[in-house]
Amino acid sequence: MSATRATMEGTMKYLLMMNTMRAGQGVPQWPIHDLHAHIAFMRALAQDLHHAGELVLAEGLTFPDQARLVRAASDGTPITDGVFPESKEFLAGFWIVDVAAPERAYAIAARISAAPGPGGAPLDMPIEVRPVAGAPPPEMLRDVENQPTATTKR
Amino acid sequence: MRYMLLMTGTCAGVDHYRAWSEKDIQAHFAYLQKLNRELTGSGEFVATAPLAPPQQALTVRAGKDGAPVTDGVFPESKEFLLGYWIVDVDCPERACAIAARLSAGPGPGGVPTNMPIEVRQVMTARTADLT
Repeated sequence: MSATRATMEGTMKYLLMMNTMRAGQGVPQWPIHDLHAHIAFMRALAQDLHHAGELVLAEGLTFPDQARLVRAASDGTPITDGVFPESKEFLAGFWIVDVAAPERAYAIAARISAAPGPGGAPLDMPIEVRPVAGAPPPEMLRDVENQPTATTKR
Repeated sequence: MRYMLLMTGTCAGVDHYRAWSEKDIQAHFAYLQKLNRELTGSGEFVATAPLAPPQQALTVRAGKDGAPVTDGVFPESKEFLLGYWIVDVDCPERACAIAARLSAGPGPGGVPTNMPIEVRQVMTARTADLT
């Protein structure tokens, strides 16, 4: 039961990503007033999108200093790693919106881009906009219930 | 505590995936569907979504008048999000264990992809609490 699968007829879902964090970064050292203004902006945005019936899901993530990369060892147990290249972009937060046209998704992204930073100046963040894919085509899922799902066949 | 598990890849990696045989793609989807069912059964599943290919990605900024300015040019090395899972678990170790399951999903010939999965704790209240 995923909220992200429910789409109104004739609308399209887009993921708007704020990829603004860098490796090792923690809570931004902004004056508390500026931090509060930023959070108030984000809350007002969420409320507007909710009332327009366009908000599917919105989340903020904890900071990159807590991020881990996980792979499976040969026995399936997790191997975790906390070292990332300095150039890596980290997701800070995202929105899934259900809109009538791509242009509306871009307009929402532009609003997010201009969120206030220190001193109230717009941050001018690049917001990555991605269409959410529908379910995989039926032929791809044919007979999947009967397929072996273990990790290896040979 | 809620965690977001992110599966990422470059455009080159996505092209490589498109060359998989239909049987291998089916086996991979079946593995993910089984995992989704397990997480739903355990009450840990919150949300998932596959994304359209990175070739359709754009970045958007606001122009001076607030109108969107779009850009579709990215460095070749850019890691794009391919899909994500949000899970609600008792401890970080459980989130890592689920990430390891995703990492061990079968690739060509049934060999595990060993894809790195980024694990991030979700910070905010649920969407419903914000509105």
